[in-house]
Amino acid sequence: MAESARKDLQTATLARVENPPQDTSNLRVIALSVLLIFLLAVLWESSKAFARSNNYALNIVGGSVDLTFLNDSQLPHLGDIARALGEPAQRNGPPLYQDLAKSAVSTFQAAVFGFFIGGAIGFTLAVIFAHSELLQRGFLPYVVASQTVPILAIAPMIVIWLSRAGHTDLSVPFIAAYLTFFPVTIYTLRGLTSVPETALELMQSYAATRREILFKLRIPNALPQIFTALKISATASVVGAIIGELPSGIQTGLGVAILNFSRYYNQSPPRLWATILVSGLVGILFFSLIALVERLVVTWRVPGNE
Amino acid sequence: MSETITVENVTKRFRGNDGITVHALDNINLTVKKGEFISLIGPSGCGKSTLLRVIANLIEPTSGTVLVNNKPAAQARKDREYGFVFQNATLYDWRTVIKNVELPLEIMNYPKTVRERRAREMLRMVELGDFENKYPWQLSGGMQQRVSIARALAFEPNILLMDEPFGALDEMTRERMNNELLRIWGTIGNMTVLFVTHSIAEAVYLSTRIVVMSPRPGRIAEIIDVNLPQPRGLETRDMEEYFHLTSRVRHALREGVGGS
Repeated sequence: MAESARKDLQTATLARVENPPQDTSNLRVIALSVLLIFLLAVLWESSKAFARSNNYALNIVGGSVDLTFLNDSQLPHLGDIARALGEPAQRNGPPLYQDLAKSAVSTFQAAVFGFFIGGAIGFTLAVIFAHSELLQRGFLPYVVASQTVPILAIAPMIVIWLSRAGHTDLSVPFIAAYLTFFPVTIYTLRGLTSVPETALELMQSYAATRREILFKLRIPNALPQIFTALKISATASVVGAIIGELPSGIQTGLGVAILNFSRYYNQSPPRLWATILVSGLVGILFFSLIALVERLVVTWRVPGNE
Repeated sequence: MSETITVENVTKRFRGNDGITVHALDNINLTVKKGEFISLIGPSGCGKSTLLRVIANLIEPTSGTVLVNNKPAAQARKDREYGFVFQNATLYDWRTVIKNVELPLEIMNYPKTVRERRAREMLRMVELGDFENKYPWQLSGGMQQRVSIARALAFEPNILLMDEPFGALDEMTRERMNNELLRIWGTIGNMTVLFVTHSIAEAVYLSTRIVVMSPRPGRIAEIIDVNLPQPRGLETRDMEEYFHLTSRVRHALREGVGGS
């Protein structure tokens, strides 16, 4: 008895020795990220320096390339952007980074709200479509079509409708949800229906109900796909929230800041860039949060993902 | 009545997407008594897996009837009268080994403590007691199949339906698993096993009766009684009768393909 157990342990251990997991320790990942940021900064400043020393024109075979986009007005020095963050944007106001932090929180809150609403809608739609081919055939095209209409065109309409209904405060989350639900629907549907045949037959051999099959087979099977969608939706919800702020008339938010600083760009170009950087950071933060949750939830190895 | 499975005049035709009809099973008649170990053997396309699934009520026959434990196959499935083992272990990746074994018990509403106890017992029976908290991908193919067998027996059915369970394993592991299976079959008395296989040696070694099938359309070519002494063991494979039987099966297979 013990002999066969020992043999099993040997086999299992051998399997792991012959296929060692990749060495992607957290330290390495962080080091790589820092290196990439550093390289980007070097690229930024050196291309500016290069352009300036060539009078913002590059002479190559066939003509000259206009490099004015690299001048200090259109692409400020990184140092100038950093300085702008430390100075107030309004007379006697707080430093820009505080303003942007507040705006970021406001935008992030709306994005998260929209993310959960959109995620719930997307998930529900996927479950419905997974169980009814008829409904899927009928409605999926409209779901797809909803995303092809440019959000910049729809956003003002949504703001008007919601303010008529007395819910202007919901317009930004609503627009975030609008961009969120689609990836969740598509990927979840894929995950729910991509169940191996024998896994389904196994459930049928137990005379399992459709509900049991959904909760014990389809949904766990779909989790890796769902998280892929949620990561996409995380960034999409931030974009949606920023865009949604533009027509909504609200006072605080990254979209509002972008609007202001682009309107008054020439007063201080670095401010807009600072806002763009902060927006990117919010997106990255949200994405990383979802990726963290994924690592806690999806504890198993997915075939093809190892 | 000691007839556990009765297959009467079962025919199955599949209509493919291209409009071509596949005649998977043609007028199959088979009776299985309680406690028998029946192998279904035949070349690809002979319908053996289809027949197994018709008996399991995972596929409806085009015509004919199937009785399992004196009930229609559909009722037997609803009453969970059998356990099914697939060629790939079909363990759920997101569940640990012990949770995989508990799956049917959850669906059949066993209370939690009973579930855990049963699952642990079954894992001990297949000698994987130390692996209960591992995940399927941490186990070798043979170990995964043992978990699959443990799961199939967790709710104590008296019929085991197996679809080429050891087909994906190497020869040595397969022989080990054959002995494991016979040991389990011997321990649990009165268990009826229907075993689909490609391997003549396996069929002769394991079974009390062998059903040789022929393809296009799927038919039973011959049924061969295996009178080798029980329990089977290493010495069985050295017996003359073993050799005769493998030859008989081989001939029946060849005739099934060549003739008809």
